[in-house]
Amino acid sequence: MSFARRFFASPPAVFGFAVFLVVVAIALAAPFLFARGPLSIVGMPLLPPGSPGLLAGSDVIGRDMAVGLAYGARISLLVGIASTCCAVGIGLLLGATAGYYGGWLDDLLMRVTEFFQIIPTFVLLMVLVAFLQPSLGSAVIGIALITWPQVARVVRGQFLSLRSREFVEAARVIGMGDVRIIVTQILPNALPPIVVVSSMMVGNAILTESALSFLGLGDPNLMSWGSMIGGSRVAMWVAWWTTVLPGLCIVITVLALNFIGDGLNDALNPRRRG
Amino acid sequence: MPLLSLQNLTIALPQGADRPLAVEDVSLQIGRNEIVCIVGESGSGKSLTAHAVMGLLPRGVMATGGSILFEDADLLKESPQAMRRRRGSDIAMIFQDPMAALNPVMTVGHQVAEQIRAHRAVSEHQALKQAEELLGQMGLKDPRSLLKAYPHQLSGGQRQRVMIAMALSLSPKLLIADEPTTALDVTTQAQILKLIKRLQAERAMSVLFITHDFGVVADMADSVAVMRHGRIVESGTTRQVLGSPAHDYTRALLAAVPKGENYLPPPAQAKALLQVSGLTKRFRRGGLFSRASAITAVDQVSLTLSRGETLGVVGESGSGKSTLARCVIRLLDPDAGEVLLDGADIAHMRERSLRPLRRRIQMVFQDPFSSLNPRQTIGDIVTAGPRILGEDAGKARARAAETLQLVGLKPECMDRFPHEFSGGQRQRIGLARALMLKPDVLIADEPVSALDVTVQAQVLKLLDDVRRQMNLAMLFITHDMRVAAEVCHRVMVMRHGRIVEEGPTRDIFTAPASDYTKALLAAIPGRQSL
Repeated sequence: MSFARRFFASPPAVFGFAVFLVVVAIALAAPFLFARGPLSIVGMPLLPPGSPGLLAGSDVIGRDMAVGLAYGARISLLVGIASTCCAVGIGLLLGATAGYYGGWLDDLLMRVTEFFQIIPTFVLLMVLVAFLQPSLGSAVIGIALITWPQVARVVRGQFLSLRSREFVEAARVIGMGDVRIIVTQILPNALPPIVVVSSMMVGNAILTESALSFLGLGDPNLMSWGSMIGGSRVAMWVAWWTTVLPGLCIVITVLALNFIGDGLNDALNPRRRG
Repeated sequence: MPLLSLQNLTIALPQGADRPLAVEDVSLQIGRNEIVCIVGESGSGKSLTAHAVMGLLPRGVMATGGSILFEDADLLKESPQAMRRRRGSDIAMIFQDPMAALNPVMTVGHQVAEQIRAHRAVSEHQALKQAEELLGQMGLKDPRSLLKAYPHQLSGGQRQRVMIAMALSLSPKLLIADEPTTALDVTTQAQILKLIKRLQAERAMSVLFITHDFGVVADMADSVAVMRHGRIVESGTTRQVLGSPAHDYTRALLAAVPKGENYLPPPAQAKALLQVSGLTKRFRRGGLFSRASAITAVDQVSLTLSRGETLGVVGESGSGKSTLARCVIRLLDPDAGEVLLDGADIAHMRERSLRPLRRRIQMVFQDPFSSLNPRQTIGDIVTAGPRILGEDAGKARARAAETLQLVGLKPECMDRFPHEFSGGQRQRIGLARALMLKPDVLIADEPVSALDVTVQAQVLKLLDDVRRQMNLAMLFITHDMRVAAEVCHRVMVMRHGRIVEEGPTRDIFTAPASDYTKALLAAIPGRQSL
């Protein structure tokens, strides 16, 4: 059975993939769907969903919630994907180096990795973002810096077990160089768990960005799901939709990404192949 | 009346397997106080037949026809509860890998005692006492302290003895042994076989012995059944079947058993191509918080090898033979000594200056399933070497087609992936990969130990043909004395990292000088009768 068929044989994976596609579509189409940006005030504050012209109501200062949610998807996905790409990049580089070469280099790189794993990561992230000035870029860099160790660990483990396999030895025997062995021999075989971890990390990064924005450490000029919740928490008891709707968006997106991760895990796991 | 009688037993495989029936219409009888061997290659259904008797078929695999009569009771019709009571007390089983069959977090004493107490109402204390007695009967020294040991603290042979003790703890009438010595060294194998034979005679029990090795059959069996593709092709007394085989397949199997009758004469003195002297490799363990310790895997080993010559390195596991090969080809960095290839010392060369020389020493690996990258096509795998040296893609592919033909494969297989090939075919692909670089020295590290005996014979013949055609110097690593006798001009026996003895194959086999070599030769199964 092909990889795609195995993946789409699992209902949660199909659901996750469909939801993810919808979120991506909304994020991409936001500027075409809504002429006005998310920050412009369109009416009275705290109008409930379904009020004339306001599908999802308005927030504490009268901005259109629907526009905010659509634009928020852009920021959440951007941060999630960009920070995961950076984290995977760092994790691959360090994990592959540590796992392939072993010895003192491995010891050194793993101590560095452990340093990032033993400090309270969210505190580090807040300090970092505050230090760099809250912005989209600093959030991406910060999240990548606190998440790369898990990629590095997975990659290192894979490389450790694969480097002693006979086909890798055979590649050395025919005179292949280290970089080429890493890229053409080991990496393709190490990919499945890395793909799975990455898909889960996108969801986590979205959560982390939301938490940052909730605490007011997001980019002040951009509307994200987290900042919408943060900005509306004073109205939480009088206007439920101001916090519940962006919260639901986060939950559904992260859930979808986790379903995709699980589906990938099952589909890429050779033991499940039939 | 036989103790166990299989009548037209048929076992179906789940849909999508490579054939519908794993075992087809198998009839077999095992009398009391008798050893019956089922012999066959991988996929013959011999192991599933044994598991069916135990009522331990894997999920999805079912006995669909026939009967298994044990003292008049049809085991196929018995309830799971009744089968559970029989397992252990009426029929017991031992397996190939005792490490996997023993629980790693329970002491040996507990495991044997647990087995006894699951069937008999005795106290823990009594059960442990019985366990101690049993371990003593298995020829294990100091059974009392052994009771407190964990499986990982024992050697492979000790573990298999413990497994046998567990199997015999309830005095079963039938013992099923599924390749019980395949994972063991040859000297240990000989001891375990002797033990099983002794216990069988002492207890007058019946033994169903599953094996792929005709040597073991010759030593053990009263009668034998030869299985192929799920059917019994021939059965009879051991003397009949081995002495005058009636079926072509039996004859082919017997012919494939390496006999070591025609020793290759040592070639005329030629200039040495590869000269190894004083090669030493130590492995260090421990680090910051534990005391560092080193074991010497290869200790002051010297050898010479000339063109057109095969030097066999034989030894049991842990003898350092594979480490030696990996040091010579520089997959490992030796600690001391030199490896002269045409006079240039490659033992301590830096990787950068070594890389252009790597072409000249190539290797065929042991495990056909891990020696080919599962994500690359055969074409990519075989042409990778020449491509690194700058050969253009078209020319490399054309040569690959020729080389694949040389090793007995069709050029069309270049676009396929490794998982589409059998173990023997994969070893051929591995050999083609090595030959593409036109090496001077070929190191073969247990190249046939994972293969069935008929395939083994084909691959050995191919290696020998290739050596002749390309005038290769071949270093042949093996644990199997019979294989070494077949293909080597000279043989070197290793133990604990040192050379025990070295000389022309004929001398080593007919007039061994050291006691260790004598012990190795004596342990070869079926030596007297085959």
